[in-house]
Amino acid sequence: MMKKQEAPAPRDVTERDGASLPNTPNTPASRRMALKMGIAALGSVWMGGYARAASRSDGETSAANVTNAPVTNAATPGDRVPFFGKHQAGITMPRPANGMIASFSVLAETPEALERLFRRLTERAIFLTHGGAPPEYDPRLPPADSGILGPNIPPDARTITVSLGNSLFEERPWLKPHKPLRLSRMTRFPNDALDAALCHGDLSLQICANTQDSTQHALRDILKNLADQLVLRWMQEGNVPVIQPGPDKAAESARNLLGFRDGSANPDAGDEALMNRLVWVGPERGEPAWALGGSYQAVRIIRNFVERWDRAPLWEQEAFIGRAKVTGAPLDKPRATEADVPDYVNDPQGEKTPLASHIRLANDRTPETQDNIILRRPFNYFNGVAKNGQLDQGLLFICYQADLEKGFITVQRRLDGEPLEEYLKPVGGGYFFTLPGVAHKNDFFGSALIAAIRA
Amino acid sequence: MNIKHLITATALLAGGITGGVALAQSAPLELVGPVAEYKIYVSENVDQLAKETARFVAAVKAGDIARAKALYAPTRVYYERVEPIAELFSDLDAAIDSRADDYEGAEKDPEFPGFHRIEYSLWEKNTTNDVKPVADKLLAHVKELQSRIGKLTFPPEVVVGGAAVLMEEVAATKISGEENRYSKVDLWDFKANTDGSYKIVELVRPLIAKKEARFLAEVDKNFKTVYDILKTYETNEGKGYVSYEKLTDKDRTTMAAAINKLAEDLSTLRGKLGLK
Repeated sequence: MMKKQEAPAPRDVTERDGASLPNTPNTPASRRMALKMGIAALGSVWMGGYARAASRSDGETSAANVTNAPVTNAATPGDRVPFFGKHQAGITMPRPANGMIASFSVLAETPEALERLFRRLTERAIFLTHGGAPPEYDPRLPPADSGILGPNIPPDARTITVSLGNSLFEERPWLKPHKPLRLSRMTRFPNDALDAALCHGDLSLQICANTQDSTQHALRDILKNLADQLVLRWMQEGNVPVIQPGPDKAAESARNLLGFRDGSANPDAGDEALMNRLVWVGPERGEPAWALGGSYQAVRIIRNFVERWDRAPLWEQEAFIGRAKVTGAPLDKPRATEADVPDYVNDPQGEKTPLASHIRLANDRTPETQDNIILRRPFNYFNGVAKNGQLDQGLLFICYQADLEKGFITVQRRLDGEPLEEYLKPVGGGYFFTLPGVAHKNDFFGSALIAAIRA
Repeated sequence: MNIKHLITATALLAGGITGGVALAQSAPLELVGPVAEYKIYVSENVDQLAKETARFVAAVKAGDIARAKALYAPTRVYYERVEPIAELFSDLDAAIDSRADDYEGAEKDPEFPGFHRIEYSLWEKNTTNDVKPVADKLLAHVKELQSRIGKLTFPPEVVVGGAAVLMEEVAATKISGEENRYSKVDLWDFKANTDGSYKIVELVRPLIAKKEARFLAEVDKNFKTVYDILKTYETNEGKGYVSYEKLTDKDRTTMAAAINKLAEDLSTLRGKLGLK
């Protein structure tokens, strides 16, 4: 029944999030398990395609900006991201070239039904993350798999990140008392033109992979296998430009569709202490115990008016963003790189970096705003042509933070009214709570939440 | 591959359907009875369709807008129940039941025919003046359908596969409310498609009742979900349905999930009966 086709060759060995749990796929025990499950070529866990992610046990340190651009010819179908861990995958690791957010209505009306959903999602996520051969059925039946990736599903750096929306809790009296403290329904900001058909949801899946085929394959697998448990509401996919490494091999932030490097000032995802402070919900936040190790996910579908942007003078584009377009350098250090930090103390009037520029409003680099720093992990999207004949493209903005109010909501409020708004129009998205990780093979998504409901 | 999933999948397909193990031997003989009975069901519905379409067309031609509107949904029910067979004649299906989206010029396209063209004039323009020739053609096409179905040998795989086809129909065009976008009578079609699908399951049920008890229980559960919700939208003492716009988001979602699961499950019905 299982095909014994070899997965593509390994590339790079990494460990996710510094997780040191038993039965992570990096341990011999889990390797055995995986082999039993019919997955070939599981010597270790690999992830090619980008700079090494997160902290690791071998003591090697490397700055890991999740918004670094993937590098040409570095990704392979054999790239495998560990599934098990304290936190979910797909957050503190650099983006592969493709990602999507899919938002669903949840049918579960009882704790039992919710547990069934979480367990089924876990099963599918494990299979899709690890790869392998789907079962073969009699040809008189529909096949188990869409087949778009061939008979042996490569892992292809696939991650599936599960988050819960405000409505899931609010509409179920037995779930409501367990809602994360800062989870709310996304409300309109002044520049928004929200389309109800692209907003909110009971549950979001962030699916990322090296190729678009892999993210679409995963979505179709989940729709097929959870047909009576999840109903798709909206979906937005995007990608990250894959770049040729420069002569010095330094990592570069990927460009967005405004042509600027996006994510230069992202916090270092390889700094575990920093991630514990900014991204992961810790015990100090007063959140329900089940939520520890989770995070808040803010999603925004932000259309860019690109024709108009392309007609804006370069100096104005740079003044609106606050960086040099070509290099990403701060405006007060024109010969620097995107990695250099702007000096606002010596530019109090904004003569170099305008006070209303995007980067200065978002992060004024004062001690008072350091708790507002968010981990951005966006994708560019291309949706064809709008009714007016202009291009419908923009940014699938995704960010993670330990406190939604201090994070995205505060930053967006500071950005309200920024000059850049002339070129941007948020049309959809939502707020979700990203579940803690699945710790081991007998665990499942949301197990602590289910236990809390039953307690 | 997750072991648990594999076991579940195998268990679900009771009798070891996976991995080259044979399904039920093809059983055309067993199916003779159900297929014959289904042919009677289809013939009765198509006869009724012809009769009701004649009344509907008469109202349209008489310029009796209120009566034409009242007859529109109840007439279509007979078509929607037997769509898997009616669709076998794609020329007639297009002539009778195509939608404005099927034409580049949409509603204004002179080629846009059938029920939905008349629906458009009735509800959007409150007239029948521009659709009298369309109505004549509709009746002619329905009569042609009646005659062709009378001569048709029903292929068992089409009959059995029809159960899933009808659910696909609901999932693709009824859930979104696109089918009857001017009149908002989609719940009538919704019910008719579901009835047509359930009829087929009922006809083949005795053949798989023992071996596929779990499967049938799941299918029944989802049919019940759909019927229970539809019931709450009945009007006129159960003789009709309220506007599709009255359907709540929650009920739409609940029905969508049940319909999607029925479409998944019933897609295995042909295989379970040993049909290709």
